[in-house]
Formats: sequence, C-alpha cells, structure tokens
Amino acid sequence: MSELLNTLLHDARVWQGHHQSRARLPGEHTGYAALDQQLDDAGWPVGALSECLLDHEGIGELQLVLPLMRRVAQAGQTVFWINPPYTPYAPALARHRIPLEQVVVIRPDSAGDTLWTLENCLRSPVTGLVLAWPGRLAGRDIRRLQLAAEAGHTTCVLFRPRRQARQSSPAALRLELEPAPHHGLRVNVLKRRGGWPGQHCQLDMAGRAGQSLPASPRVITGPWAGSQG
Amino acid sequence: MLWLYLHFPHLLLDHLRRAHEAPGAMVIVSGPQQLVAQVCPQAQQQGVQVGMRLKTALTLVPDLAIHPADSAQETAVLAQQARWLYRYVAQIALCPPDGLLLEASSLRRLYGGLPALWHTLQQALAERRLTAWMATGLTPQATRLVARQGPEACEQEPERLKARVAALPLEAAGFEPRTRERLARLGLTRLGEVFQLPARELARRLAPETLAYIQQIQGLRPDPQTFWQPPHHFHQQVDFVREVEQAQGLLFPLQPMLAELEADLQWRQQDTDSLHLTLTHRDRDTTRLTLRTAGPEHRASTFGELIRIRLEQQPLAAPVVALALTVSRLLARDAPGGADLLGETTDLQEAWHTLLSRLQARLGDAALQRLAPEADHRPEHAWSGLPVQGRPAQPADSSIPPLRPLWLLTRPQPLQQTPVAWLSEPERINSGWWDGERVQRDYYIAQLPSGQVAWLFRDVLGGWFIHGWFG
Repeated sequence: MSELLNTLLHDARVWQGHHQSRARLPGEHTGYAALDQQLDDAGWPVGALSECLLDHEGIGELQLVLPLMRRVAQAGQTVFWINPPYTPYAPALARHRIPLEQVVVIRPDSAGDTLWTLENCLRSPVTGLVLAWPGRLAGRDIRRLQLAAEAGHTTCVLFRPRRQARQSSPAALRLELEPAPHHGLRVNVLKRRGGWPGQHCQLDMAGRAGQSLPASPRVITGPWAGSQG
Repeated sequence: MLWLYLHFPHLLLDHLRRAHEAPGAMVIVSGPQQLVAQVCPQAQQQGVQVGMRLKTALTLVPDLAIHPADSAQETAVLAQQARWLYRYVAQIALCPPDGLLLEASSLRRLYGGLPALWHTLQQALAERRLTAWMATGLTPQATRLVARQGPEACEQEPERLKARVAALPLEAAGFEPRTRERLARLGLTRLGEVFQLPARELARRLAPETLAYIQQIQGLRPDPQTFWQPPHHFHQQVDFVREVEQAQGLLFPLQPMLAELEADLQWRQQDTDSLHLTLTHRDRDTTRLTLRTAGPEHRASTFGELIRIRLEQQPLAAPVVALALTVSRLLARDAPGGADLLGETTDLQEAWHTLLSRLQARLGDAALQRLAPEADHRPEHAWSGLPVQGRPAQPADSSIPPLRPLWLLTRPQPLQQTPVAWLSEPERINSGWWDGERVQRDYYIAQLPSGQVAWLFRDVLGGWFIHGWFG
C-alpha cells in the first residue's frame, strides 16, 4: 500500500498543495515589512502586471508604491505616470526624495492611445516602473499588457476601480485597498502568482499627513474675517 | 581631359514612375499641339512614339497616364539626381533640362580606371530605376552630342572618341536650322567634314557664335564649366500622376526618399532631429507636417516608423498630388562616447530617444510632461510641467519642502462632506498680490468620511474647498 502511495507521490501528474514551489519569481520589495511578509518576501512582481483596486484616491495608494518608485528613479530608470486622475504634485514628490528628472507624466487623448502608450512604455528598456490609470480594460487588453511587461521585464501597477475586483485578470498580483482606522491602509491580497491569496494586512500611512496629531478642530479666523463679516 | 555625360531621355517619366508601385503606361505631352514628348518603355511597347499626337497615342493605349511637360520641374528633378551623384563624382555640371556633365579624368585613379567608374554609375542608376545614356568624350560639347544619340559603350581611346564625334550627322550636331541648311548646301553631311574646313572659310560663311560652337566641340576654344555645389539641406520631391487618397499610399514612395536621406546623412556624417513633409493637394492649401525625433537620428527605418505613426493619426485632408521631404537642420554627428565598458549607456540613451520619438509622434508633444517644483508659495504655481526634451537642471536647493499632498486637483472642488478628523494645524498662504492671482487661504489636512485624507482650504469668503489628496 505504502509503495503504491509512494509511486503516486512521485508521479508528476499529482499536484501536492503543501509543496509550494519555492521557485522565486523576480520581485521588488514593497518597502513595507508587513506587506512583504504577506507576499512571501516576493514584493511587487517584475515583468508582470500588478493591480491595485480602490474606490477613491487619497487613501494612501501612492504611498504604497513610493518606496519602489524612489528606488527605481534613484537607480536612473524612468517612472511613467500614464493618465493620472489628478496632477502629481512636484513639491510633494521632491519632499519624498523622488528624482523628478526621471518622472514623465503622459496624458493620452483616448482609451486606444492609452493602451498603445502603456504597451510601448512597458516594452522599453528605459522604463523602470509604470503607474497607470487605464479606465475600462477588457480581459484581452490586460493580457496584452501582461505580455508587454514580460517582454520588457518592467514593473507595472494598474490602479483600477474596486468593482472590477470580480473580473478575472491575468495580472500576477492583485491587491484590494481600503481605508483603515487611524488613516491606515488595509491591503487584501486577492491573487498572487505562486502562492495562496486571502492574506491581508494593515499598513500605517499616517506619516503621509505629517505626524498624526490628536484631533484639533480649531479653526482660526483670519484678519480679513472682520472686513467680511 | 576626359568627360562623361549622362543624358536622361525621359527623366520626368522616370521620376513620376518611381512614385508608384505598379506604374502603367505613361507619356509626357508638350506644346499647344499636344505632341508626345517622352514615352516610357511600357507605352513604347504598345506603339506610342515620340512626336505622335496625343489623340493617336490615346487610341493606341486607352488608359494612358498623361503629364504635361514642365521644364522647371524637370530642372528640379535634375538637381535631385546631381545630389546623389555627388557622392560618386566631385565635378558635376548641370546641363538643363536633361543632362549632367561629369569630369572623369580626375576620377580614373580613384576608381582604378574608367570602366570601374562606368560600372559604378550604371549600378547606381539601375538602383534608382533611372534610364540614362552615358558617353565619354574629350570636350564637354562633343560628349553631350554623342550621349544624346543613344547609349554608347565605355571608350577612352582619344582617336576613337574623335572619330565618333566626326561621324555624327549634321542633324545631331545641335545647329540652328538656318546654319544646318547652309552647311547642307555646301554638300556637308557629317560633323567631321565641317571640322576639315579651314577656320577662315567657316568664319566667312557662318555666324561667329556658330564658329565658336564648332571650335568648342573640337576643343580648340576654351569651354569653361560651372560646377554644381550641393546645397546645405536635403530636399526631395515625388510627384504623383495618380493622386494618392490614402495616407498609407504615401509610405511606398517615402521609402526610397528616406533611404536616400539616410545615405546622404551617412555620407556627410551628420544627423538630424526634424523632418518636414509637404503634401501638395490639387485645390487646397498644402499640408505641412513636422516630425521631430527625440535625439539626433539618421536611420531610414526610424524615420519611416515615425512617419507611419504620424500618418495613421492624421488622415489626409485631400488627395495628394506631390510629396516633398525637406531636412534643413543637420547636426554634426557625435562620436559615440561616454559609454561604460559594457556599452550600456549608449544603448539606453538610444532606447530612450526611440521611445520618446514614438510617443511624441502619436500623442503630440503636449501630451508628455516632466514635472518641476517652482519657487512660489501658491500651490497652483509651485509646480510646472516642462517639455520632455533635454534633461532639466537639478534643483540646487536641498531644503525640505513643506508637507504637501501627492495629488493636486487642477481646480479646487467645493467641500461637500464634513471631515471626520482634523490632522494638522492650519497653514496660512497669503501671496501673489503682485500678479493679480492673489491667494489668501488657510490650509488644513483632514480626513473625510470616505477615508480619504484631503488637503482643504478656507478662502477669504469663508468657503471650503478640497485642493489635493494625500494619496
């Protein structure tokens, strides 16, 4: 009986769940120890797509990619921001020690141009990181982008609405982002290549708004208040 | 002195036929009587001949393409030929409308003999699908007369060259009709017989200019030539007999032009970063397109790719009858230097230029931006978007800027919800009274019920606005 089991175990056609293949996929550390731990130390995948799914901007989603952006830009590679919803604010980026000469913002006119731009940027060897807000994407478009990222061996983070979490996607890493108490960010791992999904962690993002002060709803009145009132 | 003459029997036709992938039968028609002046080989096969009436030609070949003779156009096309020929031959004189005179004796050593030069030129002509009758001679005029008679073999023996000129019939000698008639009445039929007459006799019977002309053919009188100098820009034009309606149709005729440009740039050891395309329409203003590459470039494939992207973006406003490519910005080529041992730097720089050129060709220059902080307290003016070309200077000051959000809204949005938590002391910004865009605001950082951390301000009137997100 045990011999039979052994033969079965050595059969390549039997997949064993507890033997995770330890083959390391190339990745970049996220810069957040808690998240790295959840991702089995793999971080942001290189040569593959990552997706961040969120409802609103302003919950710390850029803060999440800042360490990676800083590392890439300081290494002399270009960071592309494609179709960002607002203006990336230069003084804030400078404050976070991002070399601005490596940052290029592209605003294509149409959805077709956006996809074309993404593909071209992903395939180029000068690109270190692509941050993109592509809007609606069909499954085959994501597949094309995935192939482009593989060809160019670049890191790409797509920011997409959270309602698209249900849509299947060939991205290697899918993270759902939601605000957490104390201005933190809750990260749910929806999918990751070479591992089980379902992990979640909470990151402290209070630093982005200065040191977290106790609530101070003190509104001062300007010297001009008198003339108005 | 040994001269070489290229006579283009149907230069304008060759020029027009080059623009089409499958050119049909074609003729050039001149004069008020609509006589056929030039015939392409395809039309010739079907029986069309020079000097025929257009009506007759049309009866023979119903779908004949017709182009009016235009000596100015032909001269321009001739100069275009001189441009590439200059790569092979140093001394070129234009003989409008259809001939080029080359000085060959100084080239014999370079090419290792006249036959080698002859062969090189014939190959270059074949590559460009040009028909030219070549001939050698001892004087410019004699060479020209011989070449106009038809294709000749390569010959450099002075005696045989002289014999060849002497054997020319009087009709081919280019005399005025009156002079020819007078010589014919003397019983002369060949040019050699004219040469044998004593100069004094000729001077008595003929006009002084005619005598000078005869002596120039013989080489007894100096015949100075003005040699052509290449202009300091590149210009090539193709004309279409059939109008081109699709932008894709322009790509085929562009290929040889770009190849010519590449060879020209290569030969001058120069690069360029802007191309001008001029599309001529029949009854509309010409369309001018300017293409910029991100860095100095000379390869035809790169230019072709950029033009393809640009034409895909921009449909033609009207059918095109002529297309011209002009390059006036020629840059000295830098020696590839500054690369490290592995030579990666050059590659990356080139990849960067390629990517940028492609993006700019499709999206336009304005779609790409680089960011830079500005020294201004007003949030709207504290940053600027720069063109991507060229590396911006590193900001010198190392002071840490104040706390600012990563996202800035293009224009402040009114605050709709009451914040749930206040995260900072107010920061008063009161500035800009000097340029009419005064800002008097108190800025706060606050968290909204949705969990977003916003950068809020209250203005002089007491209104509350969102100006940024702490992303």
